[in-house]
Amino acid sequence: MSKRTVPRLLQTPAVLLLLIWMLIPLGMTLYFSFIRYVLNSLRRPEWTTPSISNWRGFGNYEYVLFDSKDFWFAVQNSLFIVCSILILTVILGLALAVLVNRSFPGRGIVRVLLISPFFVMPAVNAVLWINMILDPVLGLNGLAIEGINEMVRNLRDFPVLGAFFSMWPELEPISFRATQTSAYAVIMMVTWQWTPFAVLIFMTSLQSEDESQKEAAILDGANAWSRFRNLTVPHLARPIAIVVMIQSIFHLSLYAEIEITSRGNGNKNLPYLIGEFTSNNIGAASAAGIFAVILANIVAIFLLRMVGKNLMD
Amino acid sequence: MSTVDQTSRFGRVFWPVLAWVVALIFFFPIFWMVFTSFKTDADAVKPEFLFTFKPTLDNYLNMTDNYDYWRFAINSVITSTFATLFALVVGIPAAYAMAFNPSRHTKDILVWMLSTKMLPAAAVLYPMTFLTKNFLNIYDTHFLIVLVLCLINLPIVIWMLFTYFKEIPKEIIEAGKMDGVTTWGEIKDILIPLAWGGVASTALLCFIFCWNEAYWTVRLTTTEAATLSKLIEGNRAPEGLFFGRLSAVSTAAVGPIVVLGWFCQKQLVRGLTFGAVK
Repeated sequence: MSKRTVPRLLQTPAVLLLLIWMLIPLGMTLYFSFIRYVLNSLRRPEWTTPSISNWRGFGNYEYVLFDSKDFWFAVQNSLFIVCSILILTVILGLALAVLVNRSFPGRGIVRVLLISPFFVMPAVNAVLWINMILDPVLGLNGLAIEGINEMVRNLRDFPVLGAFFSMWPELEPISFRATQTSAYAVIMMVTWQWTPFAVLIFMTSLQSEDESQKEAAILDGANAWSRFRNLTVPHLARPIAIVVMIQSIFHLSLYAEIEITSRGNGNKNLPYLIGEFTSNNIGAASAAGIFAVILANIVAIFLLRMVGKNLMD
Repeated sequence: MSTVDQTSRFGRVFWPVLAWVVALIFFFPIFWMVFTSFKTDADAVKPEFLFTFKPTLDNYLNMTDNYDYWRFAINSVITSTFATLFALVVGIPAAYAMAFNPSRHTKDILVWMLSTKMLPAAAVLYPMTFLTKNFLNIYDTHFLIVLVLCLINLPIVIWMLFTYFKEIPKEIIEAGKMDGVTTWGEIKDILIPLAWGGVASTALLCFIFCWNEAYWTVRLTTTEAATLSKLIEGNRAPEGLFFGRLSAVSTAAVGPIVVLGWFCQKQLVRGLTFGAVK
């Protein structure tokens, strides 16, 4: 056996498994995206089994792009949800990381409390938020608004100020079950879950910041803001990029949260739309799936470059 | 430990207090879930019992009757454990070979492995259902869920192990080779004892990811191999009549994992950034 045989053999199972896992389903998706394939059709029963004789060329792609009214909405919504989450988590994450980076009493406990949301399973996260927190009647959202209304109502009976409070309107709790508001609900719950991740990464990175450089800047009379802007931000550029890319990949395939918060109310992202197509029109589902792959790849290429670059040093 | 401390007296009080307040806000939803789990379903939706109520353990005691909790929990434990073990069995030799005998393709292989993780699951949903249901006949089996969980986490496992193994001086492994130790002996007697902490935290993180997975475990199961994700997903109950029992089952589903997570927060950075942030 040559010197290279053993290491190669050791890697083979992993490589082979991943190769099969990636190529076979993806190959099938690619194939289905070029044929007419539906699960139920009384009119054209021959379309219910995948066969090369049902070749449709780019027909499914055209259908998804131009004829299904939801595709562009789903893409737009996917991007809206992902971008909102990214902006919120990065800003919150930076602020919190700087806040927790100094030492103070109970810092360990604060860290534990802060990181906890990240380990909550997505299904619980969604059920918890949409029912117990955001529900307009029974959730804290509804209870809080009702409490404020109650308070205002009581204040109306007050001698002098009563006249002022009687002009206050009754507040309506926001319902997070409508198409657009449920997207906000999804953004809220995912931001809650992923801000800890950003905090953790920024904190790790802050700890490797060059302290002597900072002290030199202080001696040179730089104030806190300019130290943050000129030293900390450039130092954090890389972790920010990593946080953005990793989250993009995770959130582009967001599913459980959408399924739980907005089932059937029209709010959807690309994975959810594919799920809808999958209930009957497999051809369209596959074409939409290929678009999802392309979208994810655009992000992935940047991430992989970046990770690959500092791999061997 | 900065030698130049410019923080004012106001700042010394204000920033820690703010940090505490923010941390408590972030933790509040979890606290609220645990808190509500001790209320009866009737009390849980009454504003007058918002903070004062008679605590009860009924929701936990009746969890088996209400939700068949243990069946799902046991499925979660079985699938996550075996997926993690399987990922380690496949991942350790691969990471070992890449860390100590890198070829010129190693870097490409690693990056390619990572790229499989970026494949959107929804894109291959139907082929997976089709293959496992009509073709391989393994739909809704523990075997399938173990396999899928293992495969989606394998790239992260290999990456994490790789970064840990690379920190071990190559000379130690070479020395073993000089003494005529077999490859298996090198892994078992030299590598794993040296990188024990790394292997353990990789396993822990992999377990957490398996436990929380909510796409394939929901989509590729019906009853037999359904995990806790599926249980919760099936009980999204918008009527809100069951907040008490729903909180109890949710607490039971996430509690162990959140506690496990506290122990591996540092490793999380390595695991999720693939060693790109140190």
